Amino acid sequence: MGRWSHGRGCRRMSVLDHKLWRDLRGNAAILFTVVAIIAVGVGSFTGLLSIQRILRNSQANYYRQYRFADFWIDVKKMPLAAAERLERMPGVAAIEPRVVFDVILDMPRHDEPVTGRLISVPTRGFDRVINGMHLMRGSGFSDTRDEEVIVGESFAKAHGLEPGDRIEMILNRRKESFVIVGTAISPEYIYVVQGYGSLAPDPEHFGILYVKEGYAREILGFKDAANQVVGQLVPDYEQDVDVLLEQIDRQLAPYGVLSAISRRLQPSNRFISDEIHSLGITALIMPSIFLFVAVMVLNVLMSRFAQSQRSIIGTLKAIGYSNWQVVEHYLSFGLLIGLAGGVLGIGLGLSIAWGLMQLYRGFFQFPTFQYEAYPDLLLIGMALSLVFAVAGTAKGVRRVLQLHPAEAMRPKPPERGGAIVLERVQPIWKRLGFRTHIALRSLFRNYGRSLTAIISGMLATAIIFAALTMRHSMWVLLDYQFEKIAHSDVDLALRDSRSVDALYEAQRLPGVQYAEGVFGLTADLRHGRASRRVTITGLPDPHRLTTPLDDRGRPIDVPPVGLVLSDKLAEQLKAGAGDTLELTPVLGERQGRRVPVASVVREYMGLGAYADLRYLTRLVDEPPAVSSILLAVEPTRVNALYRAVKQLPEVSGVNVRAQTKVNIEQTILRTMLFSLTLIILFAGVIGFGSILNASLIEIADRTRDIATFRVLGYRALQVASIFFRENGIIFGAGLLLGIPFGYLMVRVIAVAYNTEMFRMPVIFSLKITLLTAGVAALFVGIAQWFVLRQIGRMDWLEGIKVKE
Amino acid sequence: MAMKFVAALRRGTRPSGNQSMHAPVVRSRTSLLRLEDVSRVFGMGEVEVRALADVNLTVESREFLVVLGPSGSGKSTLLNLIGGMDRPTTGHVWHYDDDLAVMSDEQLTDYRRLKVGFIFQFYNLVPTLTAYENVQVATELVSDPLPPWEALQMVGMADRVEHFPSQLSGGEQQRVAIARALAKRPEIILADEPTGALDLQMARHVLSILQDLNREHGMTVILITHNAGIAKVGTRDIRLASGRITEVRVNERPILASEVTW
Ligand SMILES: Nc1ncnc2c1ncn2[C@@H]1O[C@H](COP(=O)(O)OP(=O)(O)OP(=O)(O)O)[C@@H](O)[C@H]1O
Ligand SMILES: [Mg+2]
Repeated sequence: MGRWSHGRGCRRMSVLDHKLWRDLRGNAAILFTVVAIIAVGVGSFTGLLSIQRILRNSQANYYRQYRFADFWIDVKKMPLAAAERLERMPGVAAIEPRVVFDVILDMPRHDEPVTGRLISVPTRGFDRVINGMHLMRGSGFSDTRDEEVIVGESFAKAHGLEPGDRIEMILNRRKESFVIVGTAISPEYIYVVQGYGSLAPDPEHFGILYVKEGYAREILGFKDAANQVVGQLVPDYEQDVDVLLEQIDRQLAPYGVLSAISRRLQPSNRFISDEIHSLGITALIMPSIFLFVAVMVLNVLMSRFAQSQRSIIGTLKAIGYSNWQVVEHYLSFGLLIGLAGGVLGIGLGLSIAWGLMQLYRGFFQFPTFQYEAYPDLLLIGMALSLVFAVAGTAKGVRRVLQLHPAEAMRPKPPERGGAIVLERVQPIWKRLGFRTHIALRSLFRNYGRSLTAIISGMLATAIIFAALTMRHSMWVLLDYQFEKIAHSDVDLALRDSRSVDALYEAQRLPGVQYAEGVFGLTADLRHGRASRRVTITGLPDPHRLTTPLDDRGRPIDVPPVGLVLSDKLAEQLKAGAGDTLELTPVLGERQGRRVPVASVVREYMGLGAYADLRYLTRLVDEPPAVSSILLAVEPTRVNALYRAVKQLPEVSGVNVRAQTKVNIEQTILRTMLFSLTLIILFAGVIGFGSILNASLIEIADRTRDIATFRVLGYRALQVASIFFRENGIIFGAGLLLGIPFGYLMVRVIAVAYNTEMFRMPVIFSLKITLLTAGVAALFVGIAQWFVLRQIGRMDWLEGIKVKE
Repeated sequence: MAMKFVAALRRGTRPSGNQSMHAPVVRSRTSLLRLEDVSRVFGMGEVEVRALADVNLTVESREFLVVLGPSGSGKSTLLNLIGGMDRPTTGHVWHYDDDLAVMSDEQLTDYRRLKVGFIFQFYNLVPTLTAYENVQVATELVSDPLPPWEALQMVGMADRVEHFPSQLSGGEQQRVAIARALAKRPEIILADEPTGALDLQMARHVLSILQDLNREHGMTVILITHNAGIAKVGTRDIRLASGRITEVRVNERPILASEVTW
């Protein structure tokens, strides 16, 4: 062969190119289904990875530029000298002692109390300290006044605050009025949440307030002292941070270490890092599924192509085209599909990244959060598209290669006759009617094609089901934590624990129907080698406003002796009912006590633990005390209560349960709605695309049969009903397999996202199942409309002439 | 054994299909089919192909009309017009008092469904249906069809009901196709080159069935062929050339199908 024939071939290839274009045009609809599936795969891949990289880079730059801390130590109160000693510990690069103080703010135009978190910062160079601030508006602190504050940007926006406005709060029993001199953001609060418990930012009710260091110490009673140390590690020390934190914890024990956490557990960082992590996982799973389906569908298409063009291929080979020339022709078919899928996918990916970016802007606050297209990702996306498209043509190309010219020129062997298995059950078979017979036989005889459609249907159904179930789980979780376990209307966090007398005061507040005091004890729980620092909630007897529930949803009465652990905490400590734990309070003398585990309850958030209030205070040798008060409030008088609470300096935080829940719901609804819509649409594309693809191929294969039916007097709809039956069966099978598969997916995802912060309840809901079926049916239904249209538009006068 | 099976089939068969259009037709005194100045022009961009030019033709009920002509003379075009598959460019195609030329697609579909039985050169059986089911395809369309097995019996295929087209010879397939056409009890049977793919022996068999349908069951048969040997089977034969009727011959004494030779 060699150069000569190839040279001649090149000239001839132009004829083949014409054929290529005509084939592409003639099968435009079928090809589009494949291109769409590839595009969705490439799009989700490039889109998710792009936004992931944008987020990660923004986060890393921000952290570096503004010296995001590596660890946080919260203490009751410590002298600055003790803090400075930490700086000399090996592994510690720098530390920053601060005062962090939650207060109730009286915001005009706001009935309900708002929680502000005061953080002390140096007057100069606050952008260069650890957790430095980035000034957004205003000029920053002046030298003339002490009562100046820089407020968090999101809080300022939510309350319409401008530099120059004033903000009032009660500090140390004195009403203070601060002048706003700027707004700022900080790497510590990219995601502005109070703690893990608040899943979503709530700028209406929680904000950060930066105040001058010296003034804060003075006014808050922290002269030469601090209650928080943030620090940075020397490079490459991250692995040993837990050991370091333990040392610090021991060293600072006299000052009462409330918590000592590394970056990993810092709420804002945790939320962003989790998001980045899950984007990565989604970017791996979703495109894999889509591209897998694309390869399957393309395989079906190309092998059918090779089959129906066997005589053309045979003729080409007989004329003298080399195998390679013919194969090249079919490969370029695949390449063109890949190219189209890639281009479309990249466009889709860029839009996905852009859309998600707008969404994230609402939650995450970065100094620079720039949209960026990453050429390497786009190239990889294009390469994936081409590779998968070519992989999809492999089977067809093999068939082309295998075709012997002589064999290929013989007419296609007649379609296989013979009965399928189902026909053995004659009584049923006979009842089905010939249209169902055609549908069933073609399903069984083209099992490769049918299987492809069923698997695609299954995957599409599973994705839709999983997405809907996860959303549903979120509602279940919120309902569980905020309705089933907690029943109070308003919770007041007290600055210090107080005697139970505080309860009587609370009871006298306007609108209060019923008040219950709880006592929070921060302690280390140890069982064997496992240990966790948790806050144990001491509940009164009876406890009507908090009802822990066991794994079957039955309310548990906290026993007079022993602890009630949440299931996650029990798992972490490898402890169960009947085991004995060592409890060491972080305040006061660090002396271990032995406490039994009375029972285990189910919780979906945090590492909760409960005990009887009196038992708990007795355990730490203190008289009964309360650290927060739960209130049931008359709905009509809630504003009067708010007004009263705003005047109480001993209250450091207010939580209105209904509001918190609504805020989380709305925030999560907004995030989820976008991704859910996207996921369902994409799943729809693969389900819709693969079914339509199979149908269009079948219509093309059955042109003559359809034409015959039409000539005999069948209407388009009657003919289409054969395909409806076939697709109905595929749809049913896909649904039947897809629901359990989707459930399995949810279980796997739930395990992947099972953290100390958060667990996803895995629930099988009939409603979701029906909804999934409905959504899937909608997509399949649209595909059927195209089928009907294709049959209606078919030129059957031409079709009737087609020979076997 | 076969008969037992057929009987079982009969019990299980419930004729279904469109009943509404099968109301008795009020026959006027006009002819079964009357083509009036029919032309059919295919426009292919610049080029116009005049497949039929000013054709006038009347077909009476119970006729056996053979249409002869060389390839490209317009035979199939004529048949498509008579069969309600296509509309003339100009002129009228009367079926009694109804003009097919002005019917809607829906009306043409009903016409094909209720009045016409088609037989194709390449049989056009559905490969994934058995012989019996292929006939069922037609019987489900009308309210008063022959039971499929009876139709198959009439063409001598009663013992092959369970076979798929790929398991039948060409002649056998064509007989199934005829069974499919006649099972609807159509007024008109239209056959486009029904023997074109068959040998003489098989062709005779197929033609004799058509002749039988015409003589014993009173169906009007219009048969298209380029094979002059078949012309004398009909009660009348016409010749087409370049879209025009060039010759009409009435056969007082048609030959028997078994006497056909070529
Ligand atoms: N759809 C069409 N578009 C353009 N020209 C057509 C079309 N159908 C038929 N013709 C032309 O009309 C003329 C008559 O065609 P027709 O099929 O009726 O011939 P025929 O007598 O049936 O030939 P044969 O014996 O080969 O089947 C031919 O020249 C043909 O090319
Ligand atoms: Mg013809």
